[in-house]
Amino acid sequence: MVARFFRSRGARKFMANRLAVAAFLVIAGYLLVAGLVWFTGIITLEETLGRIGASYQPGLWGAQRSGKRIEDATFWFEVAQNAADRGDFETARGGVAFYERRLTGELDADEIKARVARGIALAKEVLVVEGFDESASVLPKVDEIDAIVVELFPHPEGWDAFMYGARHVLGTDRQGRSISFRAIYSIKVAVQVGVVTALFAVLFGSFVGAAAAFFGGWIDHAVIWLYSTFSSIPYLVLLSVLVYMFNDTSVDKTLIPLYVAFGLTFWVGPCRVIRGETLKIKELEYIQAATAIGFSRTYILIKHVIPNTAHLMFINASLLFIGAIKGEVILSFLGLGVKSGPSWGIMISQSKAEVVSGFFWQIGTATVLMFVLVLAFNILSDALQDAFDPKHV
Amino acid sequence: MSDPATAPALLEVRDLVKHFPVRGGILNRVVSRVHAVNGVTFDVRKGEILGVVGESGCGKSTLGKTVIRLLEPTDGQIRYEGKPLHELGHRDMMPFRRKMQIIFQDPYSSLNPRLTVRKMLREGIRFHGSVPEAEIDDYIVELIRQVGLRKDAADRFPHEFSGGQRQRIGIARALALKPEFIVADEPVSALDVSIQAQILNLLLDLKENLDLTILFISHDLKVIEHFCDRVLVMYLGHIVEELSCDALHEEAVHPYTKALLGANPINDPDDRRELEVLEGDVPSPFDPPPGCPFAGRCPLVEDRCRQEMPPLVDRKTAGHRVACWAVEE
Repeated sequence: MVARFFRSRGARKFMANRLAVAAFLVIAGYLLVAGLVWFTGIITLEETLGRIGASYQPGLWGAQRSGKRIEDATFWFEVAQNAADRGDFETARGGVAFYERRLTGELDADEIKARVARGIALAKEVLVVEGFDESASVLPKVDEIDAIVVELFPHPEGWDAFMYGARHVLGTDRQGRSISFRAIYSIKVAVQVGVVTALFAVLFGSFVGAAAAFFGGWIDHAVIWLYSTFSSIPYLVLLSVLVYMFNDTSVDKTLIPLYVAFGLTFWVGPCRVIRGETLKIKELEYIQAATAIGFSRTYILIKHVIPNTAHLMFINASLLFIGAIKGEVILSFLGLGVKSGPSWGIMISQSKAEVVSGFFWQIGTATVLMFVLVLAFNILSDALQDAFDPKHV
Repeated sequence: MSDPATAPALLEVRDLVKHFPVRGGILNRVVSRVHAVNGVTFDVRKGEILGVVGESGCGKSTLGKTVIRLLEPTDGQIRYEGKPLHELGHRDMMPFRRKMQIIFQDPYSSLNPRLTVRKMLREGIRFHGSVPEAEIDDYIVELIRQVGLRKDAADRFPHEFSGGQRQRIGIARALALKPEFIVADEPVSALDVSIQAQILNLLLDLKENLDLTILFISHDLKVIEHFCDRVLVMYLGHIVEELSCDALHEEAVHPYTKALLGANPINDPDDRRELEVLEGDVPSPFDPPPGCPFAGRCPLVEDRCRQEMPPLVDRKTAGHRVACWAVEE
């Protein structure tokens, strides 16, 4: 079955299109990441909400200017100071709050306090220098501050070092959360919304559309009325209303309001397309031949009509998948979509203020990930149409 | 085999009418009707090939599809071996569905592009149980051989075949259920002339071997003349003449039949004759005028023709009927 699919004309045509194969691999990568997050829990929801360092830290490849380095150091000094003040080193050492970066166990309370005091003093000296952020003269002092931070919070090693790197590679947001982990977790959220919506909308819409066109009569009138009604309402407005309706109910913090909203609106597209195709197919002679054999109408619909609309279902599914992801991002941006956990929409919404002050890590990460996915899907759906539409030779 | 001229009627059609409603306006009311078949009466005798000829839009395909109930008749009776088909429901039609099959005009749209030949044939055989389950595969191979295709055709998809080969598959599908009566709806008009001859010969062979009765629809009188035993000439939903193919040129009396015969090219460039070209157009099938539909183009038209439709009456020769006021007995 699978082997035969790969030998089929459509599959061969698809494989010959390099851009399409690249797009397919990109999408497979996204789906793999989503699957890993979903099934293995390599990134948990808590990890995307926990603080990993100072606010607005740039990614590891960003310019490491003195100002940012001192901000970061000050954050760690405060953590150490608090621990010393409370005499509670275990929490900080156990890495509960900051994952791989833990307070050293080799120094006692007094030694920690002494190093924190020295570090803070150095930081104050640097901060009073006019234009310290651009000045090279303060660099020795900044280096010393960093050395103290490393002495207090030694760099992790092995797997920990890798995870630490991954966590910090794209910097932190306003609450000091890992942008990279939030963005990756958002892949899972987006794929989840996309897959559920596309599957439901295409299966339901196609079947309803095909049945309407094939049986005609009052069924057709009812379906046309229904989808005309749905498509005459601006879809974002309808989505907002639906999502508002779920406010303060037990499913408010889940993705269910989104599924309901998308499910109610997105089936219209495939329904309309498949209905049109069915109107065409049902007049073809092989349908009459099936009638002449004596098959029931329902059998002909399922066995002879719907399989011949499969290429449109594929294309519609890939279009709806990105449609749903874009919808999720827009709704989340407006604060109506994902309410617990990260989403590209929430990330972009948060970065409104950051962009003004020149911090592009968060909005850049979210938009690039979304852009690549949407682009790959558009290329893929074009290629699918070229390869599997029976009319294309 | 019995002589077709005296054989009993397999299919009797009486006053068959098929109208297609045309809906329009805001309330989707029926605004007019296309009178595709307008009260036709004829018999198909067991073992014969009955031709139906007429120009595009004269209702010949509609007639073919209505007699096997692919389309529901508006009025009239269809009897198969005496059983009234027009009264049967879906379930009661089943045995007759197996006995009556159809071959279509367009070999490109008549095969489901997603099914292999084997699946296409097996589907119907299984449904009717016309062959025991264990023998189906052998039977399919035999069928494919019978219609002149190679054995490996069974596992191919329709797009892998040429037009003529597709038409053979369409014939195989019609034969798969072991039918008695086949409607051939312009089976060769979409094919090249050389392929046409092959398909016609195949149909003739199959008819002899399988004892079939065929209703052969065509717009090509030349093909009908060579292929059929008798012919019905249709004009705008009416049968205007029915006669034997053996004496087509000698006996044809209806002016429309004569015009059709005259339009056939002669394969001798020196034999030039004056061609009688029909003037005017076929009247609109939407609510046609009373009287003979051919009146507007007829060289023999009389006043009566425009008011009253002539009945189809027997002529001297057995099996020759004509509907024309101007043709005197």
